[in-house]
Amino acid sequence: MSAETLSAIGLSARVAVAATAVNAIVGVPLAYLLARRRFAGRALVDLLVTLPLVLPPTVTGYYLIVVLGRRGWLGAPLYAITGWSVAFTWYAAVIAATVMALPLLVRTARAAIESVDRDLERAAFTLGRPEWRAALEVTLPLARRGILAGLVLAFARALGEFGATLMLAGNIPGRTTTVPLAIYTAVQTGETSEALVLAAALTALSCVVLVLADRLGMRAP
Amino acid sequence: MSSRLDVAIAKRLPGFTLDVAWTAGDGVAVLFGPSGAGKTLTLQCLAGLIRPDAGRIVVGGQVLFDAAAGVHLPPQRRRVGYVFQGYALFPHLSVAENVAFGLRHRPRPERERRAAEVIERLGLGGLERRTPRQLSGGQRQRVALGRALAIDPALLLLDEPLSALDAPLRRALRDELRAILNDWGTAAVVVTHDFTEAYRLADRVIVYDRGRVIQEAPREDLLWRPASEAVAQILGIRNLLHGEVVQAMADRIRFRWRGQALEALNSPTHVYLPPPGSPIAFFIRPEYVRLVRKDGAPLDPEHHTNVLSGRVVREADFGTTWTLMIRLDEPGTPAQGDYDLEVEVPRLVYEILRIDLDRHWEVSIHRGSIHVLPA
Repeated sequence: MSAETLSAIGLSARVAVAATAVNAIVGVPLAYLLARRRFAGRALVDLLVTLPLVLPPTVTGYYLIVVLGRRGWLGAPLYAITGWSVAFTWYAAVIAATVMALPLLVRTARAAIESVDRDLERAAFTLGRPEWRAALEVTLPLARRGILAGLVLAFARALGEFGATLMLAGNIPGRTTTVPLAIYTAVQTGETSEALVLAAALTALSCVVLVLADRLGMRAP
Repeated sequence: MSSRLDVAIAKRLPGFTLDVAWTAGDGVAVLFGPSGAGKTLTLQCLAGLIRPDAGRIVVGGQVLFDAAAGVHLPPQRRRVGYVFQGYALFPHLSVAENVAFGLRHRPRPERERRAAEVIERLGLGGLERRTPRQLSGGQRQRVALGRALAIDPALLLLDEPLSALDAPLRRALRDELRAILNDWGTAAVVVTHDFTEAYRLADRVIVYDRGRVIQEAPREDLLWRPASEAVAQILGIRNLLHGEVVQAMADRIRFRWRGQALEALNSPTHVYLPPPGSPIAFFIRPEYVRLVRKDGAPLDPEHHTNVLSGRVVREADFGTTWTLMIRLDEPGTPAQGDYDLEVEVPRLVYEILRIDLDRHWEVSIHRGSIHVLPA
């Protein structure tokens, strides 16, 4: 196996783990809010989170450039102040993977949270728990299988992300070339054995993920 | 400790408006009425889970809610125990953890002592490590009660506490629940749509209908003196009939029904004086209609005020009693489908009088057994 192949596998693993971690931190509270609260802009948040599931990944990637690129809404001021842009870095790959994986976690976790009997939370309230404690002690533990299944799916999605990553992070060997990008490159340059090894590795991992998700009592939406 | 409860709340929801006011003292108050009458909504307002639009809630001198003063204590600070329909026990926690759930803020030794005490008192000893799934229906009810009682609540709320159980168990647990409520002496509000349950559990009954209170009374009063036809209907009172007033006096009311002249006692507490010719609703309890024996002495006019004659058109065997559907000899449309009057007789009477063979009877109803209902 070449050094570049190894680096792609290492990078993919790091990106997928980081994206899954961000998903857990952002996605679980978001799923809870969407499941349990009625707030202004709720429908809009729901729509924005879900869009990457149905948009072509390149379109999602394009919007990410519009927002975060060197001349983007947030990217331009950031570049002006720090002289640094997130585009074409390792972070860009994490951001792209996170955005693409978020709907899978949020939708799965939200369904699991919604299926928890609200009377259990009400009982916790009358027994002295503020809402956040009731969520931590009652709702989330009871929804944990769905949340874990969502995290497994999010991890798998992050690991396999291609289009949005290519748009925002590019395909810089050793820096932003994740396994799917490396497979693409290998096929383009005729290195068929490299492509086969990487494809087989991703396939095996995906199988593990599917079995895991199934064990956790849930199928991919 | 007095736990007088004053409730006066209004809450407007899409397609439903709750507007109720009632009071209760120590003991058990039952909110009784059909599904969708606003009973559970009232409990949720009492617990602070829903904020009413207007009104006041006071428990034992403590103001829990006062719209005018802007007071709305959150459920966490009300010290109100809530036993949910279906119990809502935490399925991922053991019996001991469920019971101790509300004691978190207390020091650990005290928490353990209190939980153990509650578990012991409710006869749950030995089940501490089980999860709710591993319990019988009766044990679940006691865990739910224990979890709510452990916090030493100022008020205990129970929403259809027996609806999760099947019929035989339901009867047994109804009496067990009554015993537990008596034993702990905590003021309680129970929601039910089952009249027997309401009657067995209540000291005081508050009858709900479509978001309003239509009667509020000690339980005996409710059974013998429903305040209106609406209450009588909700109670499922049989032989609920309509006549026309002939003459109303302070002590008696004379009226016509199905061509018969009947006489009833007027209520001694709230005298009702409708003008002649006005419609009047009344009811006759089937077990208070007497069959006139054919072999006996002539009727004593003082006792047998209202005498009617008719034929048994249908009957039903309830084991210890028989119910006879009697159609009057009077021509015209019967008052209740194919019959006029439902009469209940003990099995022994049915057998002695050979009612199975002899279908034509005179019946008499004492004037005190005809209950007129104010419009």
